[in-house]
Amino acid sequence: MNSIFTLIPLFPLLGFLVIGLFGKKISKGLVGIIGCGTVFVSLVLSVYAFSGLIGGGEKSGNSITIHLFDWITAGNFSAPFNFLIDPLSCWFLLIITGIGFLIHVYSVGYMHDDPAFDRFFAYLNLFIFFMLLLVLGDSYLTMFVGWEGVGLCSYLLIGFWFKNNDYNKAANKAFIMNRIGDLGFLLGIILIYVTFGSIRYKEVFDVASSFPSSKPVIIAITLLLFVGATGKSAQIPLYTWLPDAMAGPTPVSALIHAATMVTAGIYMIARSNILYTLAPISMDIVAGVGLFTAIFAATIGLFQNDIKKVLAYSTVSQLGYMFLGLGVGAYTGAVFHVTTHAFFKALLFLGAGSVIHAMSGEQDIRKMGGLKKYLPKTYLTFFIATIAISGIPPFAGFFSKDEILGHAYTYNNFFWLMGVLGSVITAFYMFRLFFLTFFGKFRGTEKQEHHLHESPSTMTIPLIILAVLSVVGGFIGIPEVFGGTHWLHEFLSPVFSASDLKTLPKEMSHSKEITLMVVAVLAVCTSIYSAWFYYLKKENIPVADGVAINPVQKTIYHKYYADEFYEAVFTKPLNWLSEKFHKIIELKAIDRAVNFVGESVTWMSGQARLLQTGHIGFYIFAMVVSIILILFFKLL
Amino acid sequence: MKTLYILTALGVIAMLAELFRFKKFLLPIVLIGLMGAIASSVRDWNTNIHYYNYMMTFDNYAILFTIVLCVTAFLWFMMSKDFFGSESSKTDHYALVLFALCGAMLMVSYSNMVMLFLGIEILSIPMYVLAGSNKDSLASNEASLKYFLMGAFATGFLLFGITMIYGATGTFDLRSIGITLKSPELIQVWRGAGGTTLLYSGILMMLIGLCFKISAVPFHFWAPDVYTGAPTPVTAFMATIVKTAAFAAFLRLFITCFSGLGNVWMNTIWVLAGLTILLGNITAVYQTSVKRMLAYSSISHAGYMLLAILAMNNHSVGSVLFYAAAYSVATIGAFTVLSIIEKNFELASVDSFSGLAKKNPLLAFAMTISMLSLAGIPPLAGFFGKYYIFTSALQSGYVWLVLIAVLGSLIGVYYYFRMIIKMFSSGTGEVTNIEISTLQKIVLVITILLSILLGIFPDMVISLL
Repeated sequence: MNSIFTLIPLFPLLGFLVIGLFGKKISKGLVGIIGCGTVFVSLVLSVYAFSGLIGGGEKSGNSITIHLFDWITAGNFSAPFNFLIDPLSCWFLLIITGIGFLIHVYSVGYMHDDPAFDRFFAYLNLFIFFMLLLVLGDSYLTMFVGWEGVGLCSYLLIGFWFKNNDYNKAANKAFIMNRIGDLGFLLGIILIYVTFGSIRYKEVFDVASSFPSSKPVIIAITLLLFVGATGKSAQIPLYTWLPDAMAGPTPVSALIHAATMVTAGIYMIARSNILYTLAPISMDIVAGVGLFTAIFAATIGLFQNDIKKVLAYSTVSQLGYMFLGLGVGAYTGAVFHVTTHAFFKALLFLGAGSVIHAMSGEQDIRKMGGLKKYLPKTYLTFFIATIAISGIPPFAGFFSKDEILGHAYTYNNFFWLMGVLGSVITAFYMFRLFFLTFFGKFRGTEKQEHHLHESPSTMTIPLIILAVLSVVGGFIGIPEVFGGTHWLHEFLSPVFSASDLKTLPKEMSHSKEITLMVVAVLAVCTSIYSAWFYYLKKENIPVADGVAINPVQKTIYHKYYADEFYEAVFTKPLNWLSEKFHKIIELKAIDRAVNFVGESVTWMSGQARLLQTGHIGFYIFAMVVSIILILFFKLL
Repeated sequence: MKTLYILTALGVIAMLAELFRFKKFLLPIVLIGLMGAIASSVRDWNTNIHYYNYMMTFDNYAILFTIVLCVTAFLWFMMSKDFFGSESSKTDHYALVLFALCGAMLMVSYSNMVMLFLGIEILSIPMYVLAGSNKDSLASNEASLKYFLMGAFATGFLLFGITMIYGATGTFDLRSIGITLKSPELIQVWRGAGGTTLLYSGILMMLIGLCFKISAVPFHFWAPDVYTGAPTPVTAFMATIVKTAAFAAFLRLFITCFSGLGNVWMNTIWVLAGLTILLGNITAVYQTSVKRMLAYSSISHAGYMLLAILAMNNHSVGSVLFYAAAYSVATIGAFTVLSIIEKNFELASVDSFSGLAKKNPLLAFAMTISMLSLAGIPPLAGFFGKYYIFTSALQSGYVWLVLIAVLGSLIGVYYYFRMIIKMFSSGTGEVTNIEISTLQKIVLVITILLSILLGIFPDMVISLL
């Protein structure tokens, strides 16, 4: 009966094959139905798997392993191809298929006029397949297959409009940056195999649980895995690809570059929580990098004028919060934030897509304004998402962010303070975006104004569903202080309980918890007020390009010159080295050697063929000489 | 043994066909007969029956090689329908080929030196005639004469060798010779001081005679000229069936009789194998005629197979069998394509294949698979053939010779891939009318499938021995 869950990833794969092979021959409507339908079946099956896990009763051991086939068997190494359905993977299944389905439906409307409609859905289904494989695998190797697969789909979809060369460059950048991270991940997997003799989670964790804390090899493994995570989940120093990845169609940004793929790094570390718990230094590094990224990206978000770029930096920043959560031991909190973030960030991107759709492709918020009356549904849902991301109770973002910050406080007061600072900045740039887009006067061209319209219902219905989820999504994790039981924590405890025992924060009094919350919320409200005051009351508009601004602002506007820095430090020296290698080693050494071998063989061939004179007399003479030689050497 | 009866009967029926006017049905009769021959061989599995006072032994070794020969012959008859169709003396050719096949069968199942000699002669004489079967062509006539003259010369050495060994041991029977040679010092007791010299010269003479049949350097001179001059289907027959039978005979003789006297012949084979691999591959590079290129390639493959004889361990038989099967299948495929192309070109050069992939994908694909298999590219049959032979040679410690062999295969890749590149590069439109009969299509498909299947499941064949 359990084998029915094998179908969860197979259906999107089937969709990919059908649309990929026959997409040109069938109508757009059918493509849309297949594309959405396959994901919907996966969603239904995921819900079924989920209900099985809840109904299972026993707290521990309620996981299902499905053996599909033996993939690689060589010597001592064996890699069975298994699926593992436990609370963690099941929770991600729900997020991926749920949000994935909504975004598929949205895409039917958004991509309707695109000539490559079928290609888009084929890629999207393939992405869902690989993402499901990533979370369903029961070994690091299977995860790696999914990991690479989603990277490929991300590449294909960023460069979806491949006629624009800048988009291709963005796709390449994403791919290359991810490759750097992947190398770390791969080395991590190899080191895991060398250390534990297996790559299956269960076997690795069983062995690891008897290891002492802070063993160097565990620190090395966890850091290598984290390098992989910084690539996929866009953390410093490998984050620069994500803002550029906004070149892809907006549903792609929502699905891959906000809700699902970029959280793969979180999943990987949450999955490896037992290893990380054994390496406190790695935890510190994860927390530090996450926090730094959260603030760093938030400040860049303050001065961006492209609606999707703002959201991209916001995503990087929110991912930083999740890593902060992982680093301080709030595994549940991190997964919780993945969930709520998936709701509101997907909503923000889809809302932005709706705005861009209405604005005929315009993405600069300086040319928007006053869209409230033209796009009422988009406006309202976008508003909800903005409140949710800012962390105003009782919206979804508040509970998850609060849980991470609460853990951060017990871990280190300073982390908490910086975390709150980050959310203050977040609230400011999000409301700046919100006010500039939907309020004030319309600043675009007349033609654009004439064209303004609300999006079709295939696009607005997903917005509304996501808005509802952004409002109520937080209730799955109401902390004790409000009389809740934190349902998600209970649900995920089979995966995290072992680590929680070691990293559970020192008990914090309820009054102190409340105080922290109030301080954080007040700070955020102040920030929102100042955004309102500056952009709505004073009607300030960000200056046009080329107008002089002060140096600090200029540095941030240019993203701290990170791209330029990488270019100068890595790209240019590498190109130089590569050119030298080409000129000296390849052309002068390798090519010459190869050509020499080839030419000498041809020359020898030319000589050897002359032996074949065609005269029988010569042939027999040669044979006789050979026979005499043989007999001479052997018999005397 | 029934296999031999069936083949002989088929030959006789072929001669009667002219008389009783059923020429039209001859091909189906032969094909069905061959299937019966294969089936009867399979039935003899694991029986190990001897015939005529140990003249012949149908052990599993003989049966497996018989099956390889019969399957190759089956494919060969299907590809060569045109060869028979265009000739007036159709039935004679059928009979000659079938009798040659009988000779080949004797060569894989003999257990007496006399039967070896008979087998070789029964195989060779029809081949001399068939090489000249294109009577209007000067090249064909020349090939026939050259083959005959040099073949007679080599057979002389073989026979001379047999008599010397008889002189030393007093018997023609392989088992008795084998037992006697386990203690060679006895020979000295029987025959005096000259006895061992007699024996050793005998072994070397037989080695020379057999090396001529497998066209090992420096006894290969006949091969390029005869292969080029003979009609293409006959060349295909010589490159596959004759070579397989000669190797089976070679291996059987040396394993049963001379394996204990390695110091007499192993160095010689070492040198011959190295020379064959290098000269065959290097000379093939320069050839523009595809037929001639395949002739040199066939020489080099004989060199690889010599490695297995040299290795003389328990993997030798399996690796030679697999190699012979893989090589025969790929060669039949290549010659089928060549014979189709030759309808447009008298002497098809590499250039005449240009652009074939666009005009006829099936032909190009079959040729590509054959070339890849011959070059030894995984996962095709040829790769595993080479793999098994090289491993078994390495196990016996012939590191340097294996290095030479690998070097030779590297050179081989050059001329095999030149064919492939030509077929897939844009052509000048030289090949115009390509007619492929249904039978030829079937042959092509079977060779493609066999090359791939033998490569994917090599254990199926190897585990039989």
